[in-house]
Amino acid sequence: MSHTLAELQTRIETGGRLGAAEALFLYRSAPTWWLGGMADLVRRRKHPDGVVTYIIDRNVNYTNVCVARCNFCAFYRPVGHGEGYVLSFDEIFRKIDETLALGGAQLLLQGGHNPDLPLAWYEDLFRAVKARYPALKLHALSPPEVLHLSRMSRLEVPHVIARLVAAGLDSIPGGGAEILVDRVRKLLNCYGKASADEWLDVMRQAHRAGLRTTATMMYGTVESDEERLEHMLRLRAVQDETGGFTAFIAWSYQPEHTERGGAEATGIEYLRTLALARLVLDNFDNLQASWVTQGGKVGQLSLAFGANDMGSVMIEENVVRAAGAAYCMDEVEIVRHVEDAGFIAKRRSMHYEILGNPIIRERELPRQLALATARADGDTSVPAELASYPARSAAGKRQRSQPRSPVA
Amino acid sequence: MMNIEINHAIAARARAGESLTEAELAELDSTDVLSLGMLADEVRRARTGTAVTYTRVFEPGPETDAPSLAAMAARGVEIRLALTAASLDEAASRIAHVRKASGPDARLTGFSLADLSARGWAPIGQVLAALRSAGLDAIADAPVDAVTSAEVDAVAAAGLGLGALSVRGVPDQRVTLVLKARAALAGRPWVSAFAPLSREQSVSAPTTGYHDVRMVALARLGLPAVSAIQVDWQQYGPKLAQVALTFGASHLDRVSPFDDTALGSRRGSVEEVRRNIVAAGFTPASPGTSA
Ligand code: SF4
Repeated sequence: MSHTLAELQTRIETGGRLGAAEALFLYRSAPTWWLGGMADLVRRRKHPDGVVTYIIDRNVNYTNVCVARCNFCAFYRPVGHGEGYVLSFDEIFRKIDETLALGGAQLLLQGGHNPDLPLAWYEDLFRAVKARYPALKLHALSPPEVLHLSRMSRLEVPHVIARLVAAGLDSIPGGGAEILVDRVRKLLNCYGKASADEWLDVMRQAHRAGLRTTATMMYGTVESDEERLEHMLRLRAVQDETGGFTAFIAWSYQPEHTERGGAEATGIEYLRTLALARLVLDNFDNLQASWVTQGGKVGQLSLAFGANDMGSVMIEENVVRAAGAAYCMDEVEIVRHVEDAGFIAKRRSMHYEILGNPIIRERELPRQLALATARADGDTSVPAELASYPARSAAGKRQRSQPRSPVA
Repeated sequence: MMNIEINHAIAARARAGESLTEAELAELDSTDVLSLGMLADEVRRARTGTAVTYTRVFEPGPETDAPSLAAMAARGVEIRLALTAASLDEAASRIAHVRKASGPDARLTGFSLADLSARGWAPIGQVLAALRSAGLDAIADAPVDAVTSAEVDAVAAAGLGLGALSVRGVPDQRVTLVLKARAALAGRPWVSAFAPLSREQSVSAPTTGYHDVRMVALARLGLPAVSAIQVDWQQYGPKLAQVALTFGASHLDRVSPFDDTALGSRRGSVEEVRRNIVAAGFTPASPGTSA
């Protein structure tokens, strides 16, 4: 099939849908300016008010112990490793207190697949959080974590989701998608944690249960251009079916300190991928800029290439930092970047409802020039409450019989 | 093709390499960032094709030994000195020492003209002549917002080259800076590069991506007399530096002399620099000391 840019420009301008071959042609052949211009046109059509949103939340990783062992991940520690940790409920409450003080209203809670944390631990945590902070939203547990709990508890995914919702879960983050093509997932050693179909099915079940979720893509490892597109097209198909995705977030693989190694995709590749996502994902309203992987400058330029959201203030970040990137933007910086690009900055909820103007316009907040981490270096404390939950791994069982042991 | 949302008459004058007025530059600066970048990219490609040059720079510390300097020089790496000396004699003696160790063919540069001038060791012409006779080839940069035209002329009068005109302060007036650079370039064809992104950055409020790429694009469009628009690879990092190439930049300065990727992406290997150039749609040209 042959295409011309002029034909496809007309298609996009008139709201028509791109097919796989057309999208691939654009990704490979369209000038970067053309892609950016078209993505900007679609963004303006979807968001004519010139508003760029962001959320104040905290990205908390409750454990880094993981049995999945994805080879692109620099964050996890195997069971029994001396640097493995589980945060205590009290540590999580402290982080929530700090988040509320900065105007945050949500916790993004994700972690490793820790075999020694049963479903009851999550339910108790969610209930405890909601009891102390009834207004706080829990955006928690990506599809592979839900699947992990389903496998550990031998309950079907809809059942696990129902129990988590009953305990306080508000929405599900779209992590762990990587590339939704099984050939790629096998090469990344993440097929076991969730196949492409399993990931999509968790989202389908979550949407059916009335939850809204995000969708992500980590590109730049072993996948081809066609597979990046297949990823987007599979998300588009589920969105046609359920309408449950609030946003799409793409980021580049961060290679430092990972088993896989290699090089990071470039900034131009990020902007082209983002722009293409805006054109292909015509049924997604919101596209986030990944300043945490691209830095504030290219993160801001994302707003010219189709993004309408600056993501999260984050406050804390552990996963990307473990792989070598350590960018930080507090609310002052996010708002400055949004306004400098000519947009109106507004705070939003996870559901992309506008919550209001920047908090910094209402009161002075302490500047945050570096993102916090899960724990201070060398902190090997073990939460006392873990003793009340059965461990599955040998190391976990040993540690729980000696609660002061430094192994989480 | 997409339409450029830019005043067509101004775009035509920019394409023809004509000197744009202050009002025209201000109009360009207020246009949308993609249209501005697209025009700057077009003008840059017409002028320098798809080639992107880069300079590998070694910045020796006081502990750097003679064999290391000689090895860098033998690989064609530019040796660039920082201004740490407390006196002109000390600066000259340091240059002489590095020149001796690195050999007569080494490209030996250093210092910002503004820093030398601020030291007040002697009239700037005398200072520059002393540095030249000690073995310096070129002054690394001359910030257009911190030096006078007379000081720039003193560089050439001393027989020194100039790495690039540069910007020092945290700028808010992009057009003013382009006009200052134009004034500094006027009648000085020996200046071949302008580095429009500030050498100094606020930690709490660094310049934004929009600012940086607009500055690069305006420099390309407003300075037809200069052949290369430079971006500092180490200071601005691979992502912004690469994007800047699509907004009119054509030279990457301060590329690491080391090929050790373990040093991180900002100090990554030449291979990474070349990969970024190609991924931006350009062709890496042989490393050069100027564009
Ligand atoms: S990416 Fe997640 S699931 Fe994979 S190893 Fe890391 S923590 Fe575990």
